[in-house]
Amino acid sequence: MKSSFDKVYDALRSIKLAAVLLVLLALLSIAGGIIPQGKTTGFYQLHFPGAGSRIILALGLDHVFSSLLFLLVAAVFAVNLTVCTFHRLTGELSKPRGKRRHGPDILHLGLIILMFGGILTARTRTETLINLRRGESADLPDGAKIVLVDLNYEQYPDGRPKSWESTVVIHRVSAPAPSAANTPAPSTPGGLPQYLIKVNAPLRLKGYSIYQQSWHTEKQVVLKDAMGMSFSLEPGMRGATKDGFVLFMALDNPSLGAAVPASSTPATSSAPAASSDPLPQSAIFLLEEHGKRTVSKAAPGQGIGPFTFDGYIDQSVSGLAVVSDRGYPFVAAGFILVILGVFMTYIRKLKGMLA
Amino acid sequence: MIATIAFGLLILSLIIQIVYLFKKEGGQDVISPWLSLAAGILLLVEIVRRSIAIRFVALTGMFESLIFLACFLALLIFALRYFKTTKGNRVIPFGATIIAVIFLALASSPLAPSEIKPPVPALQSGWLVLHVSFTFIGEVFFTVGFVSAILQLTTKNEEKRQSYDRLTYTSVAVGYPIFTAGALIFGAIWAEKAWGVWWSWDPKETWALITWLTYTAYLHFRLVRKSTSNLVPALVIVGFAIAMFTFFGVNFLLRGLHSYA
Ligand code: HEM
Repeated sequence: MKSSFDKVYDALRSIKLAAVLLVLLALLSIAGGIIPQGKTTGFYQLHFPGAGSRIILALGLDHVFSSLLFLLVAAVFAVNLTVCTFHRLTGELSKPRGKRRHGPDILHLGLIILMFGGILTARTRTETLINLRRGESADLPDGAKIVLVDLNYEQYPDGRPKSWESTVVIHRVSAPAPSAANTPAPSTPGGLPQYLIKVNAPLRLKGYSIYQQSWHTEKQVVLKDAMGMSFSLEPGMRGATKDGFVLFMALDNPSLGAAVPASSTPATSSAPAASSDPLPQSAIFLLEEHGKRTVSKAAPGQGIGPFTFDGYIDQSVSGLAVVSDRGYPFVAAGFILVILGVFMTYIRKLKGMLA
Repeated sequence: MIATIAFGLLILSLIIQIVYLFKKEGGQDVISPWLSLAAGILLLVEIVRRSIAIRFVALTGMFESLIFLACFLALLIFALRYFKTTKGNRVIPFGATIIAVIFLALASSPLAPSEIKPPVPALQSGWLVLHVSFTFIGEVFFTVGFVSAILQLTTKNEEKRQSYDRLTYTSVAVGYPIFTAGALIFGAIWAEKAWGVWWSWDPKETWALITWLTYTAYLHFRLVRKSTSNLVPALVIVGFAIAMFTFFGVNFLLRGLHSYA
C-alpha cells in the first residue's frame, strides 16, 4: 500500500504530467501570441464580442504571461521538473559509473536554474533610460556619474542607420563629482578611461550594464544677444536676461522638427550641423520680464526679448539604457547547462542508434 | 539569377522524382540527389556572394532566410539519399523537395525583396548569425521530421509505420538540440547584448517558444505513449506548422521587435 506522500510524489514526477503541462503551456502561449496583450477592457469587448471577451478577461488572457493561470501552470511545471530531475538524478547516480547517462539531468537542471534566473529577472530587473547630449552627464545607480564625451551616428547611403556609438567616461564617487545632473562636465576628463558603447556592445560595469538604445536629433534654437554672441537652447531650457529670462518651449509644429532623421546629407553627423529646413519654422518661447510672463511665437530672423532668434541647429542626443539584472548570471549558467545537456543527450542517443 | 538556376534544378529533380514515384518497379533514381546537391551548392554560393557584398553574413532578410533554408534542405535531401538514411524510400526526399521548392518560390515573391542590404546596428552581431543559422538548420531537420510524421500517420503498414517513427524521431533528435541552442539560447543572448533584456515576450520569441514547447512535448509523450499513438507524430506536424508560422506569420501578420528585417 502506497502512502499518500508516495502517491503525490509519483504524480509530481510523472512524465505524463510533464507532457500535458508542456501542451498546456504551449496553448496558453498561443493565446498570448494571438490575442493582443495589455489592451483596455473596451478593446476586447469590441473585437471579441460576447462570451469571447468575458473568457479573455476572466482568465487574464489579456496579459497571459503574468496571469494567475499561466503562473499557476508554470509553478506546477517547475515543481514537476524539480521533483523529476531529482528522482532521475538519484536513479542515475545509483547505477554503475559507466552506465550513467547524465545528459537529461544536466539539461533539466539547467532549466531549473534558468527558471530561477527568470523569476529573479522578472522581480528585480531595473532599467533607466537616460538621454545625453555631448558634454552632459547623469547619475548611475551606484552613485558614479556618466559623462557623454562624444557620440557618433553613421548612415548607409540609403539612409538606414549603420552605427550608433557613444564615447563615455565614468566618474567614480571618490572623485569630486560635478554638481547637478545634466551640467556640462569638464571638457577634458582628467585622465579617466573612455569607453565606447555601441549597439550590441554594451558597457559592463559592476552590477549593471549600459546599452546604446536609441539615437535622435533634436532641434535647438540659436539666439544672439546684442553683442552678437550666440548660444543655443534645447527645449525647456532658458537663457537669462537682465530682468528675467527667455525659455524655449517648443517648436510651433513639432512634427516637423521632432522626428527629423539625423542630418540629411553627410554620412557622419557627429557635429551639430546647421539645419537646412525648407520652410523656416517658428518656435514658441516663454518670456519673463520684470516678473511678467508672456508666451510668444517667433520665426528665425525675428527678435525675441533682448535676443535675435537666429535659427536652429540639430543637436544629437544619445539614448542610453542603464540596466541592472541580477537574474541574468543564473540565466546564463542555465543556458550553458541546457546546451551541454541537450547535446550530450542526443549525441549519445544517435551514437546508440547508429551502432 | 543563381537562385533561379537552383530553383530550376529543384523543379527538374521534382519531375524526375515524380516519374520514379509512378514507376512500379525499376532501379533507383540516381539523378535527383545530384540535382539537389547542385542546387544546394548554388544557393550556398549565392549566400557567400551576398555576404561578401555587405561584408557581413547575409542572413538578415526574408529572402536570405528563405534561400538559406532551401540551401540546407537541398543539401540534406542529398545526404539522406546518398547515405541511404531513408533506405530507398522515395516519398521522404520527394516531400522535402516540394518544401524546398516552396521556400524558393516564396523567395522569388514580392514578399521577399531580394536587394542586398547591409545590416542595421541591432543586427551586427555574431550572436545574431549563430541565432539565425542554428534556428534554420534545426528547422531543416524538422522539415524531414514533418514529412516523415505525415507518412507515419497515414500509412497502414505496421512495419513502415515503425520505420517512419524512427526517422521522425531521428530528425527531431538532430534538429532539437540545434534549434534549442539557436532559437532560444543564442536568440536570448543576442537580445541581452543588443537591448539589455534577454526575454521580452515579443511575438517572434513567443512563437519560437511555442515551437520548442511543442517539440519538447513530443519528446516526452514519445517516452510514455504507446508506439501506435497518433498524438505523438501529430505533435511533430503541429510543431512544424508553428515553426513556419513563427517564420512567416509573425513577420506578416503580427509585428514586434523583429519586424525590421
Ligand atoms: C521545458 C522543460 C523540459 C525540457 C526542455 C526537457 C527536455 C528533455 C529532453 C530533450 C529529453 C530527452 C528526450 C529523449 O529521449 O529524446 C528529456 C528526457 C526526459 N525528461 Fe525532460 N524536459 C523538460 C521537462 C521535463 C519535466 C517537467 C519532466 C518531469 C517529469 C521531465 C522528465 C524527463 C524524463 C524522465 C526524461 C527521460 C530521460 C531518459 O531518457 O532517461 N522533463 N527531457
